[in-house]
Amino acid sequence: MTDVQNDQLEPEELQLDNTDPETSGAPEPLTEAQQATLFRVLRVAYPHPSFPDGPYERTSAAVQQADAEGVLGAGLDALGDLDGLDDDAVTAKLEAVQEEPFFRLVHSTTVVALYDDHEVWNLLGYEGSSFEKGGYLHRGFNDLDWLPDPRIEEYDGEPRVEIVKEA
Amino acid sequence: MVAIAHDDPAVVIIGSGAGGGTLAYELTKKGIPCVVLEAGRDLTPEDWENDEWAAFAQMAWLDMRTTSGSYRITKDFPNLPAWIVKAVGGTTTHWSGATPRFMAHEWKARSHYGPIEGANLLDWPIDADEMAPWYDAAEKAIGSTHRHGRPPLPANNNYKVFANGAERIGYRYYATGPYGTNAEPYDGRPASIQDGFNFQGDKNRSKWSTAVREIPRALETGKLDLRPECHAVRITHDDAGKANGVEYLDASGNLHKQAARIVCLAGNSIESPRLLLLSASSLHPDGLANSSGQVGRNYMRHMTGSAYARFDKPVHMYRGETMAGIIADEAKLDTSRGFAGGYYLETLSLGPAFLAAFVEPGEWGRSFTEKLDAYRNTAGMWIVGEDMPQESNRITLHDEVKDQHGLPVPNVNFDDHPNDVAMRNHGYAQADALYESVGALGVHHTPPYPATHNLGTCRMSEKPEDGVVDRWGQAHDVPGLFVSDGSVMTTGAAANPTLTIVALAIRQADHIASELAAGNL
Repeated sequence: MTDVQNDQLEPEELQLDNTDPETSGAPEPLTEAQQATLFRVLRVAYPHPSFPDGPYERTSAAVQQADAEGVLGAGLDALGDLDGLDDDAVTAKLEAVQEEPFFRLVHSTTVVALYDDHEVWNLLGYEGSSFEKGGYLHRGFNDLDWLPDPRIEEYDGEPRVEIVKEA
Repeated sequence: MVAIAHDDPAVVIIGSGAGGGTLAYELTKKGIPCVVLEAGRDLTPEDWENDEWAAFAQMAWLDMRTTSGSYRITKDFPNLPAWIVKAVGGTTTHWSGATPRFMAHEWKARSHYGPIEGANLLDWPIDADEMAPWYDAAEKAIGSTHRHGRPPLPANNNYKVFANGAERIGYRYYATGPYGTNAEPYDGRPASIQDGFNFQGDKNRSKWSTAVREIPRALETGKLDLRPECHAVRITHDDAGKANGVEYLDASGNLHKQAARIVCLAGNSIESPRLLLLSASSLHPDGLANSSGQVGRNYMRHMTGSAYARFDKPVHMYRGETMAGIIADEAKLDTSRGFAGGYYLETLSLGPAFLAAFVEPGEWGRSFTEKLDAYRNTAGMWIVGEDMPQESNRITLHDEVKDQHGLPVPNVNFDDHPNDVAMRNHGYAQADALYESVGALGVHHTPPYPATHNLGTCRMSEKPEDGVVDRWGQAHDVPGLFVSDGSVMTTGAAANPTLTIVALAIRQADHIASELAAGNL
């Protein structure tokens, strides 16, 4: 162990890493057939009966955008032709590849992109940004009416027993 | 803002959150010049966003970290062990606001819990009586509801479900607080508008944080030199072993050294021990202040879990204050439940974006999408309790992986203790009973999130061989080096930690000011 305390650290030892991220070249864009397969995968793996195609199309674009490693095309091709397969059969195919980089890319991107989609928020009943509308103070923060209004003060009976039984 | 020269030995505080921000204000208001080195940017309420992912990208601490051990984070979020903030104000920008105190016996866990295999339990060298006035001061600084004349917040929708369920299963000690957000104007900040964005920084400034209270006030004293985007890389000491400076990188990556009369470390419980380990010297070959070997050990993240319940009627849990609902009935020592320590149940809400990411990481298919389809009719709660300190739960420097500055990243190793698992299972069962009593169609048990409560890696101890800092937070073996954040926690208790961190920081500031005035530091 050298005595570093008595020497100034040299700035070059600590400089910011400004090197370019590894560039392996952008992957080939998906073919129309691959795009159709991806769309089917998203519809089957993240099934929401009430969702139109728009959110899935935007999610598909996000997945393609996120494919820095170029695993998407080959992963979709490996699923084979999904036409004629029912959703259970497609699900079975996806379960078989769910630990592979291809599906991990699809999943990690979808859970962000699909549920950060404002049309999806609206469909699920989430209203998003509220500060500029004055919050929910006058817009239903307490409009639940199927239970009685509960106490909000602390209990004013006997004090809480903090030690009931020691070891 | 005052500019303090690099060679002018000031009080140098690393971090501006609950510990560092509080310390900076308490010292500067007594006229003591302070330099605050904050790794993150200077974000203000105008910058904060009512958008989960946008806010996360804006303020979360995303510097590279690694994980190991048997806890599930290593699979689901291997590079995000903690969900904390990198910005002026630190994680007080993100905190929800629950402010329970430690119970008296929780300061003396080893004495009350007895020996527990695998747990490195130790009594704190301080107790509830000593802390009582500092808790009072902290509650007044934060403006905790239900305390010192502060009124309660009203019931929001999520609380209505939670509190009715609590009542029906026989709980008594529930309320909308104590909670660190104004129910009415207080301390120059307005009442809550129930906007539902607590984790993203409260744009309305109704929620206490050091970003809206302590830091602006410290700047007004003219004694604070606040340096955002300045990442501390080493604490130095003189030949006699006294802390005397901090080396840091500015936003452009330039290395500076700030001379220090004393150094106060408040970088949260992963960065604080990391910096001590990075500051090894011939005098401290295993890391600064580490003669006990306890630096980085006894990492605690609280026993946590969440329960999301689905109903046949609307809840709209996201409307209103996120955590303004606390049940304390299970915060007790009752080993007949099968575990030592206790826990709280607290309301919790996530938007669909975060719920999708965290409700059941890795899950897909209909079982997953059902949870999101039920969003409108979902109520949520968090279960938070004391976890056991274990020596092997530990922050170390990674052998190979480096951060953007070329420094070894911290690795977080964590295994649940069997006591943690038993407590979590008890909490899930109570959550099920609570929600089912008000008609839940189903309750999902969500595993722990990346840790928001990070504690214990520089623990306080009576004896130098048992821990890293003394009863004032000063390192046992480095004069002039204080630790001022949650890493000093000897044990974590069940309570959300921010109130206790603030109380300890106010107390520490009082001590430091006295010692500086007496010429002892």
